[in-house]
Amino acid sequence: MSVAAERVATIPRPAANQWWRHRLVLVGAVIGALVIVYQAWSNGYQWPSALEWKSLSTGLDNFQTWLSDQQSSAHPNVVFSVLNGISTGLDDLVSWLATLFHDLTWAGTTALGVLVTLRFGGVRAGLWVMGAFLSFAAMGLWEDCVQTFALMFAAVILSLVVGMPLGVLAGRSDRFQRAITPVLDAMQIVPAFAYLMPIVILFSVGPGAAVITTMIYSVPPAVRITALGIRGVPANTVEAAAAMGATRLQMLAKVQLPLARKMLLLSVNQTILFALSMVVIAGLINTGQGLGSLVTNGLNTNPALALLAGAAIVIMAISIDRATEAMAERTDPARMHVTEAIRGRLRVATAATGAAIGLAVGIGYALDAGSAYTNVGGSPDWLQARLQSALDYVENPSTFVFSITSWIGNHLVEYGLQPLQNFFVETPAPVMLAGLTLIALLLSGLRPAVMTFAMLAVIGVVGEWGSAMDTASQVIVALVLTMIVAFPLGVWVAESARVATIVRPILDVLQTLPQLVYLIPFIYLMPVSIVPGIIAAVLYASPVVIRLVAAGIREVTPNTVEAAQAFGATRTQVLLKVKIPLARDAIMLGVNQGIIMVLAVVVIGGLVGSGGLGYEVAYGLQQGQFGPGVVASLAILALGIALDRVTRGNRRPRLEGNR
Amino acid sequence: MTTTTVSADAVEPAGEQRGDPLIRAHGVWKVFGPHAERIIGSPDADLPRGELREKTGCVAAVRDVSLEVWPGEVFVVMGLSGSGKSTLVRTLIRLIEPTAGAIEITGRDVIAATPAELRDLRRHAVSMIFQHFGLLAHRRVIDNVAFGLEVQGVPKSKRLERAAEMLRLVGLEDAANQFPDQLSGGMQQRVGVARAFAVDPKVMLYDEPFSALDPLIRRDMQDEVCRLQEETGKTMIFITHDLPEALRLGDRIAIMRDGRFVQVGTPEEVVGSPADEYVANFVRDIPRSHVLTLRWIMRDARPGEEDGPRLDVQTTVREAVPMIAANERPVCAVDGAKVVGVVDRDAVLQAIAGERD
Amino acid sequence: MTRHLPRRSRLLLPLLVLALGAAAFAAVGSATAGAKSCGTVTLNEQAWAGSTANTYVTKYVLEHNLGCKVNITQIAEVPVYQAMADGKTDAVLEDWGHVDQQKQYVTKQKTVVMIGPNGVTGLIGWYIPDYLMKQYPQFKTWKGLKGKETIFKSPESGSQGMFLGGDPSYQQKDRTLIKALGLNLKFVSVGAEAAQVARWTQLYKQHKPVLFYWYDPQYLNATYKLDMVQLPKRFKGCRDDEKQGGDPKLYACAYPTYTLEKLFSKKFATSGSPAVKFLKKWSWTNADQSLVASYIAGDHMSPDKAAEKWVKANPKVVKKWLT
Repeated sequence: MSVAAERVATIPRPAANQWWRHRLVLVGAVIGALVIVYQAWSNGYQWPSALEWKSLSTGLDNFQTWLSDQQSSAHPNVVFSVLNGISTGLDDLVSWLATLFHDLTWAGTTALGVLVTLRFGGVRAGLWVMGAFLSFAAMGLWEDCVQTFALMFAAVILSLVVGMPLGVLAGRSDRFQRAITPVLDAMQIVPAFAYLMPIVILFSVGPGAAVITTMIYSVPPAVRITALGIRGVPANTVEAAAAMGATRLQMLAKVQLPLARKMLLLSVNQTILFALSMVVIAGLINTGQGLGSLVTNGLNTNPALALLAGAAIVIMAISIDRATEAMAERTDPARMHVTEAIRGRLRVATAATGAAIGLAVGIGYALDAGSAYTNVGGSPDWLQARLQSALDYVENPSTFVFSITSWIGNHLVEYGLQPLQNFFVETPAPVMLAGLTLIALLLSGLRPAVMTFAMLAVIGVVGEWGSAMDTASQVIVALVLTMIVAFPLGVWVAESARVATIVRPILDVLQTLPQLVYLIPFIYLMPVSIVPGIIAAVLYASPVVIRLVAAGIREVTPNTVEAAQAFGATRTQVLLKVKIPLARDAIMLGVNQGIIMVLAVVVIGGLVGSGGLGYEVAYGLQQGQFGPGVVASLAILALGIALDRVTRGNRRPRLEGNR
Repeated sequence: MTTTTVSADAVEPAGEQRGDPLIRAHGVWKVFGPHAERIIGSPDADLPRGELREKTGCVAAVRDVSLEVWPGEVFVVMGLSGSGKSTLVRTLIRLIEPTAGAIEITGRDVIAATPAELRDLRRHAVSMIFQHFGLLAHRRVIDNVAFGLEVQGVPKSKRLERAAEMLRLVGLEDAANQFPDQLSGGMQQRVGVARAFAVDPKVMLYDEPFSALDPLIRRDMQDEVCRLQEETGKTMIFITHDLPEALRLGDRIAIMRDGRFVQVGTPEEVVGSPADEYVANFVRDIPRSHVLTLRWIMRDARPGEEDGPRLDVQTTVREAVPMIAANERPVCAVDGAKVVGVVDRDAVLQAIAGERD
Repeated sequence: MTRHLPRRSRLLLPLLVLALGAAAFAAVGSATAGAKSCGTVTLNEQAWAGSTANTYVTKYVLEHNLGCKVNITQIAEVPVYQAMADGKTDAVLEDWGHVDQQKQYVTKQKTVVMIGPNGVTGLIGWYIPDYLMKQYPQFKTWKGLKGKETIFKSPESGSQGMFLGGDPSYQQKDRTLIKALGLNLKFVSVGAEAAQVARWTQLYKQHKPVLFYWYDPQYLNATYKLDMVQLPKRFKGCRDDEKQGGDPKLYACAYPTYTLEKLFSKKFATSGSPAVKFLKKWSWTNADQSLVASYIAGDHMSPDKAAEKWVKANPKVVKKWLT
C-alpha cells in the first residue's frame, strides 16, 4: 500500500502527445492476428518438447532427497548446521514468545496490550486494543491469537532488525538505494506461493519456516519507509549539523533518527500489516498453531471456523494498525515539546503502567487465570453454528441466492474463462510468445520486451507453458473485472468527497484481509472451480486500483481544470477530456499494480481449484513433490515478471522520479 | 549609528591589510554533473552556462573564484539566485566538495584535510548560519544552542551554561525551554546565531540568513549582526542577494554572476565605479550619496585650502552636504589630524548627479 | 486518582505476595505432575475428519489416563515424514501408504518407524451418486463410462466430461488413470476437500450427474448414497504404478485397499514414554472412526467434546488399549 502511495507521488506529468493512441491500435492488431492464428491452428505447435529441460524436476527431487539425508545425518556439514540452526532458533524464538504470553496469563497479556497502548497511544487506541482482546475471547480463539501474535511478533522484530539498518543505509546513500530497490521490488512482486517450496526444502516446516516466509514479504516496507523517513529529514537541518562537525554517527543518532522517528514508527506499523497479511500463507508451512493454520485447515474440516479465524486476523490487523499509528502520532518528539516537567509526569505514567501490568499478572496468578481466556460460555460454538448455517444456506442449490450465484459463476466460466483459456493454451506457443513480446515492445519499449521474451522462454523451458497460459488467462479475466469495478469507483471517489469517506474504511479492511480469507465464502457461493479465485483476486486488487485511479485524477492540477471550466466545459467534459486523459499514467500504473496483485491471488486460488500454476505448487507442496513444485514456482516468478513488463508502460524507472 | 560603525571598518582598501588573511581561496571551481573534473582547464570551461549544459550535461556553479578575507573583516558575496554564491560558501568548509581549487582557513589546508581534521575545523574554527535556520525540531531552544558543544563532547552542565549565556546575548533567555516551532522566524534565526556563536569560532559564515524574514525584522537582525560583530570582532563571510544589505554590512563586497566574481571592492568602489554594465545596472537605484564618502570625491588640497572646515574622511556625502552647502570654501577631509584632501560643491553635485544618469 | 492510590496499594501488596506465592506453588505442582508420567507428546492431525477423530480420541486418553501433555501439529501427509525426521512431530496415526517416503525415511534414513495398522481399512476410488448408477447401470465399471463422458459436462470442462479431483494433498493418480484408460474426461480440481464436497453435494442435491475422487471411511458416506465405479485391476497405460512397487509387467491400475498404518518418529519410538506403549496398542474400526468424524464434521461438535463423548460411551475399548 505504501508502495502504491510512493509510486503515485512519482507519476510524471503526461506529455500532450498521442503516441499511445497509435500504439493501442497496433496492440489491437497484434491481438487480432493472434486470434486468427488461434482459429486456424488451434492446438498445433505446442511448446516443442526438445526445448524442455526435463531433468530439472527430477534433479530437484534428488536434491531434496540428498538434502534430507544431509539434514538427518548425525554430522551435518556447516551449511546444514547453519540452516538447521536458523530454523530451530526461530522455532525456539516463536515458542518462547508464546510461552511468555502464557506465563503472563490472559489477565496480564490483556493488561500489557491495553495499558501500553493507553500510555503511548491514548484512550481511543487503548479502546481498540481492548475491543480486539474481547473479540478474541468471544470467538473462542484466544490461544490461536496468542500463537499468531507470537509468530508475527518474531517476524516483525526480525524484519525490523534486518530492514531498518538497510533502510538507514538506503536513506543515506543514493547508490545503495539504487542497488536495493529492484531487490525489494522482486520480494514484493513474487507471489508468496513461489517461495514456499524452496523454503520448505531449506528450512523444513514449522514456525521458523513461517517466520522466514513472512519476512520475505515484510522486510521491504521496513526498508522503504525507513529510507523515506531518513530522506525526509529536512536537508537544512542535516547540513547545519554537518557544518557543526557532527560525525556520521552523531548525525544519525542525534539528528536523523529522532527527526525521522514518526516515519520509523510508521514503518513498524506497515511491517506489522504486511506480516499479518502473510499469516495465512505461512500457515501452509507451519506445524499447525495459530490463526493461519485454522484458516488453511478449516478449509477442509470447518469453514465456519476458518472464517472466524479470518475475522480475528482482520481485527488484530486493524487494532494494531490503530494502536501503532496513534503511538507514532503522539510520541513524535518534534511535536510533543517535552520539557522537564512533562517528562517527569510521563515517567510517573510509565511507572504506573508498568506497575499496573505487574499487578494484573499477579492477580492473574492469584486467581489462577490460566493462559487463555475462554470463559465466555457457549458463544463461540453458537457463533460458529450461525456462520455454518449461513454457509449452508448459500450453498443449498434450492435457494434463491444459489440461482443467482451459480448463474454468474457458470456464465463467467463458460463465456469468459473457458474461451480465453483455450485461446491462451491452444494458440501455437511460438506465435503466442511472439505476440506477447510484440505487445510488450509496443506498450513498454525494447528492454521490457526482451525481458518478457526471456521470461516466457523460461516458462517454456521448464515445461510449464500450458499451466502458465492457463494462469495468464485467469489473470486477464480478473484484471478486466477489476478494472470494470475499480475504474468507475476510483473516478467517483476522486470526484466526490462523500463517496471517498464512505469507501475508505472498506478499502482499508479489504487490504488488510489476508488473500486466502477472501476465498472461503466464494467456495460456497460459486463452487465452479475457477470462480472463487477470480472473485477473490478482484476484491484484493480493486482497493489499490481504486486508490491509484482516484489519486491520478486528483493529481490533475486545479489550474488545468479551471482553464477548462473557463472555456465553459461541463463537469462531464472536464472529466472525460481533461482529467481522465491526464491521469492516464496513473491508470496505467493501476493496471500494472493490479495485474501483479491479481496474479498473487489467482495463484493462491490453486488451493481451491483455480488450476494452473497455483495448483502445481499446492500439489507439489502437499505431495512432497518438490521438483514439480519448485519448477512451478519458477514459472510463477517468470510469469509475474513478464506480466509486469508487458504492462509497465513507458514510464521511467521509479528511482529517477523519487528525487 | 550602526552605519558609521560599518564604514569605520571599511576604510581599509585592499593592499594595506593587517597581518595574514584568515581565509584564503584560490581558483575554486564547482561543477555539478558527470565527469565534472574533465571540464576544468578545457575550453568548455569558458562556455556560457546554457551551452555547457547542452554540451556536457554539467552545470558550473562556481568558476575560478579566489578570495582572501582578513581577520575582523566582513566580506559580503552578493548575487542573484543561481549565481553560485551559496555553493561557494559551502565549498569553503566542504559541505559541498569543490571540484578544484585551494582553500585555507586559519592556516589550515581545507582541501587536504582528513575527515577528522575537517570535523575539527567545523567544530572549532568555523560556524555557519543558514537561510532556513536548520534547527532541530525535536529539541528545546537551549539544547539547540548547545548542540555544537554537544557534538564536541562538552559535558552537559557546562554546555547548557554556555548556551544560556548565548541566549542572553541574543535576547532570548526567556525562550530557553521552548521548541523551535513555537518561535517566530526572527527568533528562530536568533537561535541560529546563538548556536553559531556558542562554539566561539574565528569565522562565521552567513548564508542568506535574513532572506526568509520580514523586511522590518530583517533590519533588526542586521543591526544585531553589526552589534555582535562590534562586540566580538569575528571574521565573517556574508551571503546575500540584497544589495542594500550588502552595502550596509560589508567591508568588502564581491558581486557574483554565473559563478564568477565580476567585481570585488569596498561598497564605495562598487557603487562609485562599477566594473561593468551588469554591476552598474545593479547599483543604479542605490543613492550614491548614501554610500560614497568624502574619500571617494575629494581632490588633493591646493595650497591655502587646508585650513577650511574639517570633516572626517569617512563621512558620507549625504551627511557632508549640509556643511559643504553652508561653507563657501571647500571642506577638508581629515584622517585623524591629517588633511588628506578637500571636497568642494562641484564634487558633491557631481556625485549626486551621477545617481541620475 | 492518585489520592486513592496509597490505600489501594496497602491492600494490594499482600495480594501481590500471595499471587507470587501461588505462582511458585503452581510451578512446583506442575513439575511434580510431569515427573510421574510421559511429558509431552506431539500428534499430527491431517486434513480429513477421520484423522481428526483419531487424533482427539487418543489425545483424550493420553491426557486423562496417562497425564501426558499433548500438542497437535497439522502437516500434510507427505511433508510430515520430514517433520518426523526433524523431530517436529512424534506420531502419525493414519498413513495411506506413501511408498516413496517410506523408502526414504523408514528404510534408508531410519528416522521414521512403522508401528503397524490402526485397524481402519481405506478405500479410494471413483464415485458417482447412487441415483446416477440406477439410471446408468453400465457405470458399474469404467468401461461403461466410455462414450458417455459428456453427460458429466460442466462449465469448466468445455466439450469434455468433468472428473472432479480430490484434495491436492491426498494420495491420488487420477490424471494418469484418465489418460491410460483413454477417457474423454477433463480433470478438474477444486482444491481443498471442503470445496470438493461443496461442489459435488450441490450437484447431488440437484440430482445431476457427477463423477469424482472419493474415499472411505468418510462420515459423509452415511448422508449421501454413493457408488464406486470399478477400475481395472491391471491395464496397459497405468505404468506409473511401477514405482509404487507393483509388478511392472502387470500394470496395476485401480487403487489398492489400504491398510492404514501408524508411524512414529524414531526419537519418540525409542523414548520409553508410556505414551509409546499406548499408541502402539491403539487401534479401532471404520465404524468407530466414522462415528467420531460425523460428530465433528457433521454435527460441528468441538473435537475435544466429540472425543470425550465417544470415550465415555466406550469404556471397554479404552480399557483394552491401556492394558
